[in-house]
Amino acid sequence: MAEAAATAGAGGSGTRSGSKQSTNPADNYHLARRRTLQVVVSSLLTEAGFESAEKASVETLTEMLQSYISEIGRSAKSYCEHTARTQPTLSDIVVTLVEMGFNVDTLPAYAKRSQRMVITAPEFPDPHTYIKTPTYREPVSDYQVLREKAASQRRDVERALTRFMAKTGETQSLFKDDVSTFPLIAARPFTIPYLTALLPSELEMQQMEETDSSEQDEQTDTENLALHISMEDSGAEKENTSVLQQNPSLSGSRNGEENIIDNPYLRPVKKPKIRRKKPDTF
Amino acid sequence: MPLTGVETARMNRKKGDKGFESPRPYKLTHQVVCINNINFQRKSVVGFVELTIFPTVANLNRIKLNSKQCRIYRVRINDLEAAFIYNDPTLEVCHSESKQRNLNYFSNAYAAAVSAVDPDAGNGELCIKVPSELWKHVDELKVLKIHINFSLDQPKGGLHFVVPSVEGSMAERGAHVFSCGYQNSTRFWFPCVDSYSELCTWKLEFTVDAAMVAVSNGDLVETVYTHDMRKKTFHYMLTIPTAASNISLAIGPFEILVDPYMHEVTHFCLPQLLPLLKHTTSYLHEVFEFYEEILTCRYPYSCFKTVFIDEAYVEVAAYASMSIFSTNLLHSAMIIDETPLTRRCLAQSLAQQFFGCFISRMSWSDEWVLKGISGYIYGLWMKKTFGVNEYRHWIKEELDRIVAYELKTGGVLLHPIFGGGKEKDNPASHLHFSIKHPHTLSWEYYTMFQCKAHLVMRLIENRISMEFMLQVFNKLLSLASTASSQKFQSHMWSQMLVSTSGFLKSISNVSGKDIQPLIKQWVDQSGVVKFYGSFAFNRKRNVLELEIKQDYTSPGTQKYVGPLKVTVQELDGSFNHTLQIEENSLKHDIPCHSKSRRNKKKKIPLMNGEEVDMDLSAMDADSPLLWIRIDPDMSVLRKVEFEQADFMWQYQLRYERDVVAQQESILALEKFPTPASRLALTDILEQEQCFYRVRMSACFCLAKIANSMVSTWTGPPAMKSLFTRMFCCKSCPNIVKTNNFMSFQSYFLQKTMPVAMALLRDVHNLCPKEVLTFILDLIKYNDNRKNKFSDNYYRAEMIDALANSVTPAVSVNNEVRTLDNLNPDVRLILEEITRFLNMEKLLPSYRHTITVSCLRAIRVLQKNGHVPSDPALFKSYAEYGHFVDIRIAALEAVVDYTKVDRSYEELQWLLNMIQDDPVPYVRHKILNMLTKNPPFTKNMESPLCNEALVDQLWKLMNSGTSHDWRLRCGAVDLYFTLFGLSRPSCLPLPELGLVLNLKEKKAVLNPTIIPEAVAINQEAANNPSSHPQLVGFQNPFSSSQDEEEIDMDTVHDSQAFISHHLNMLERPSTPGLSKYRPASSRSALIPQHSTGCDSTPTTKPQWSLELARKGTGKEQSPLEMGMHPVASAPLSVFTKESTASKHSDHHHHHHHEHKKKKKKHKHKHKHKHKHDSKEKDKEPFTFSSPASGRSIRSPSLSD
Repeated sequence: MAEAAATAGAGGSGTRSGSKQSTNPADNYHLARRRTLQVVVSSLLTEAGFESAEKASVETLTEMLQSYISEIGRSAKSYCEHTARTQPTLSDIVVTLVEMGFNVDTLPAYAKRSQRMVITAPEFPDPHTYIKTPTYREPVSDYQVLREKAASQRRDVERALTRFMAKTGETQSLFKDDVSTFPLIAARPFTIPYLTALLPSELEMQQMEETDSSEQDEQTDTENLALHISMEDSGAEKENTSVLQQNPSLSGSRNGEENIIDNPYLRPVKKPKIRRKKPDTF
Repeated sequence: MPLTGVETARMNRKKGDKGFESPRPYKLTHQVVCINNINFQRKSVVGFVELTIFPTVANLNRIKLNSKQCRIYRVRINDLEAAFIYNDPTLEVCHSESKQRNLNYFSNAYAAAVSAVDPDAGNGELCIKVPSELWKHVDELKVLKIHINFSLDQPKGGLHFVVPSVEGSMAERGAHVFSCGYQNSTRFWFPCVDSYSELCTWKLEFTVDAAMVAVSNGDLVETVYTHDMRKKTFHYMLTIPTAASNISLAIGPFEILVDPYMHEVTHFCLPQLLPLLKHTTSYLHEVFEFYEEILTCRYPYSCFKTVFIDEAYVEVAAYASMSIFSTNLLHSAMIIDETPLTRRCLAQSLAQQFFGCFISRMSWSDEWVLKGISGYIYGLWMKKTFGVNEYRHWIKEELDRIVAYELKTGGVLLHPIFGGGKEKDNPASHLHFSIKHPHTLSWEYYTMFQCKAHLVMRLIENRISMEFMLQVFNKLLSLASTASSQKFQSHMWSQMLVSTSGFLKSISNVSGKDIQPLIKQWVDQSGVVKFYGSFAFNRKRNVLELEIKQDYTSPGTQKYVGPLKVTVQELDGSFNHTLQIEENSLKHDIPCHSKSRRNKKKKIPLMNGEEVDMDLSAMDADSPLLWIRIDPDMSVLRKVEFEQADFMWQYQLRYERDVVAQQESILALEKFPTPASRLALTDILEQEQCFYRVRMSACFCLAKIANSMVSTWTGPPAMKSLFTRMFCCKSCPNIVKTNNFMSFQSYFLQKTMPVAMALLRDVHNLCPKEVLTFILDLIKYNDNRKNKFSDNYYRAEMIDALANSVTPAVSVNNEVRTLDNLNPDVRLILEEITRFLNMEKLLPSYRHTITVSCLRAIRVLQKNGHVPSDPALFKSYAEYGHFVDIRIAALEAVVDYTKVDRSYEELQWLLNMIQDDPVPYVRHKILNMLTKNPPFTKNMESPLCNEALVDQLWKLMNSGTSHDWRLRCGAVDLYFTLFGLSRPSCLPLPELGLVLNLKEKKAVLNPTIIPEAVAINQEAANNPSSHPQLVGFQNPFSSSQDEEEIDMDTVHDSQAFISHHLNMLERPSTPGLSKYRPASSRSALIPQHSTGCDSTPTTKPQWSLELARKGTGKEQSPLEMGMHPVASAPLSVFTKESTASKHSDHHHHHHHEHKKKKKKHKHKHKHKHKHDSKEKDKEPFTFSSPASGRSIRSPSLSD
């Protein structure tokens, strides 16, 4: 970038770009934003020690800056919506920057740098002109009401869901004359019935992760262990680690000295001998 | 335990003295099983076996092996083609007498058929003739190698294929196959000597798809790809001599998990279940450690494998060095209820590895030793793992079960001895099946047998101490392991077999105690003891007068003579007394220790040394007795009915620390619905230290008491305030706390209490509205989000509670049930059930416990008339493809519907399912449920009871279930429940309405057709020991001369005739019913083909004959091929046999004539008589009967 700037040399400095007059207010906004960005780019260039720049190079840099900022905005919006919010928070931005490969830690230092150019902006108007203070009802904190609410809410959801499922699919009924009051979703056989019966549902898995801390501890333990081994072995014994990774059970192995388990079921399958002594005949 | 050389030698010599006598004229030393092709699509298996045998007699010319359903292509002995015959009389038990339909007859015939192929009697389905070229070789007792090529096509038993019908390769679909069966069932999947007593070393090879794993016994030596690299071959070696019956196989796309604690242990499960497998098996190493420690013996095999498969035959099946489990035992860490159950299964299978797999049995009558020891050490494991309370509770439960069963059916005999096979000595004449063979046993009997075996082991332990007991086990194990390491001394291997006498000898050697009386009482004899106890306190003498009576006349009971422990809790402490129960002494005086009136404020010492304060105000002021217990240690297999005052039971419940005593007092308190009982139970419920199972049963007892006291009950419904206090929020008592099941004891209580509460009834015999609302609120506010454990069992129990609250609908003149007249309470219940059942479709619970409970609840609603009774819903849930628990629950409902609504259609549907369902366990279970909840019984008039049903069931047990012993026995049980032992009453009278007694010269009504009311007497009359005239027929070993005389003189009813005919079959030297019968004669017995000689061309004997003919070339004619009489058979037997068979033909023939000329039948009989004798004269010289022909031309005789 320095080189590019150098070749740019001392072009027309302080060029204010494409000032096609437009009547469209949207275009006006666009132009205004563009102009602000150009000011920023120019001041950054000045800060970097340039005295002048070609119009085209400033324009390019502006374009780059604009897309970078737009990407931050877009990405932050996604993160924010992903967590079911509408207002982005600082952490959304941080995550976005991290995601884009930006080292966030350098940002405060950069902001406090000495040779920083200060772009003067007009003063904010009085706070009351823009500050919003929404009012809410007092949040209900009564335990009984909360439980009551949670219970009926869940029940309503469940009922609505099952009714919907029953409406859209095949049903069975306990009463011949009435199929709608107590609709039962029809029983459908599974091809592999034991899987649904035995495996915990995703919801339960999630719960398990949330509530079961001891299990987690164990897991991280084994992870750490695996990590240690691979770090120790990283240089010399690459083969060993690959064996380790293949073998799912070894991560659970507590005795460190035995790296390879000699279990016949883990041994590689042998290639057939070229010629059998006696072909099997019937 | 290392043995010194001298010691070993001494032991060996001693054993050698009375060593095991093989029933076979050869010794098997090694067997190769090679399955080179398994086709999951066609469900077929192709392979060969090679048996290495050493003849033990010089003139061995035929070799009998076991094989069922296998198609045998070719047999070679030492590379020479050998002729063979394949015949299995158990395929179709009764050929003739199709009109009989008499269970007595069937059971005898079935036992005879099983005997005819019983490997323990040296018999087998497959008879191979040693080629004459080898006779010289045999005479030198040189080795023979028998090579048999076989295939299996769509096996119905023995091997079970599970092939889900989804897209993808077999491995992707999770298709798998495994061996299964009840007792020795290995013959179903490869030819072998299917006996627990014939040990040999094994080489096992299985070629499977490259994506599959074959798990089998012994060490996996290597895995080799085939040339096309699409398959691989698993080579296993089992160097420890093992019986064929302990050989197993499981093939599937298993996930492999090496046990992190024991690398020689490998676990296998079906795809996607690895996380569950990891959790489930994470405990196994502790079981290993426990057994190895108490037995001071290492696990005998060099490796161990557990395989978890779908559609399991039984939950746990132990084989040499591997166990096959049901996949439904797998669970995640969130499941509470299944965890102890699964661990128990694991421990059980491991105990059987030591005793059952490694140590095998000599004969069926020694089975109890193995089952007893494995059950006993499993009990020790339980004690260590779950605590003494759980252990004692379990022992009590088992004891109650065996007592209930024996009293109901009349006794379980652990060590049956068959004195020469005389029917007179039949030790189990009260049963409708023979106990001579494991394969004729009712499944329920067998489970009770195992239960009794381990209880008796416990009794032996009580007698000789645990230390000695474990020493005996160790001795058995070390003897066996010494023997097993003798690679080439196969005669030593018999020391790996345990026998009753060997075991008892070991006990007396080790302990120096004589346990013979104990053995005689519990092992050689069936029945339990029934005590009735009552007492009086004699104040003057300060003596407790205890009266103990026994009932030893009812079926299933026996007399007990010997010591009996009685514990008396007095004010001054607890005292043990040992009474001597003798013939005539009923009264026992026990001196009391507590002399005077109680001291106030004195603590009362208990048995365990604890001293407690008691409120003694309830006591009888004159008596120092708090409570009395008879046989507190359960050292007799007994039922005790003891009478003591209600306050004594209450003291016992509150203060006796033994859970068994608490349990007993809870049971007794049901009869005392008083406020004091109520208080005692409530106190127990609240007591945290009390064993949770006791508290659980206290819940139900409290509900019962509350119902009895309904008019005087005060306060809220029983347990409600207690539950509120324990499990509901402090601020809002109607809302239950969010679930936290960290304390399992309170979890179980929380689950149970509402179920018991729902049983409460008000004065109108309805469930109180308050209780119903309470349960509905529990469901509504149930919140499991913060819980570490799944609440599926809890929610299922809540549905059970709802079902319990249902009471019969008030019906106005049988109106049809519709929505409009639905009871509002029921509407609420139905609402919940609907929601739960529907949610299950979206978020299924573990093992679908909630669906199961919902189905049961719906059936309850139907049965009580709230919802129209309709089996359609259950039938859809019973279909193949649902989880097995759901299916069973649905089937249970259908069975119940069949009974209540007397529906023929549903009964047919169930019977079809018994025949066609792909899952053997489900088939077995339907039969079992039908037997438990029969649509009608033998003394009942029912429209369902008709001839077609009899025929259908008869066919089912006669031939339809030949591929599964357990299923056949289940069918026999059902037949017995429905029709009893004699001829079903719904059948029309057979043609032979009247029979003649030639001796007494009078005609009597055919006993087989006497109507039901008389039939019971008739059964007794049929009992051979009480019917002198029949004795001769019941004895198959009396000389043939005698029999002929009796035959002529006293044949007075067809019953006797049949048993006579049958007994012929039981002769060891007589070929079985259809053994050498060509296909034509078999078909001749089927009425439709009465004259046909060429029908049923597909029967097995025929093709094997054909193949045999091909194999041996042209030297022998087909008739001669079949001639393999037993060398030692005397000629007379064959003559007799032919007479008998002829006789029966004529008998048959006469039936028809009788029909025409009933009036003249006296004359007819005379005619028949003459005819017979003529026939007999002719027989030996004609070749009309194949059997007689063979006997004459037998090589051994001509030699």
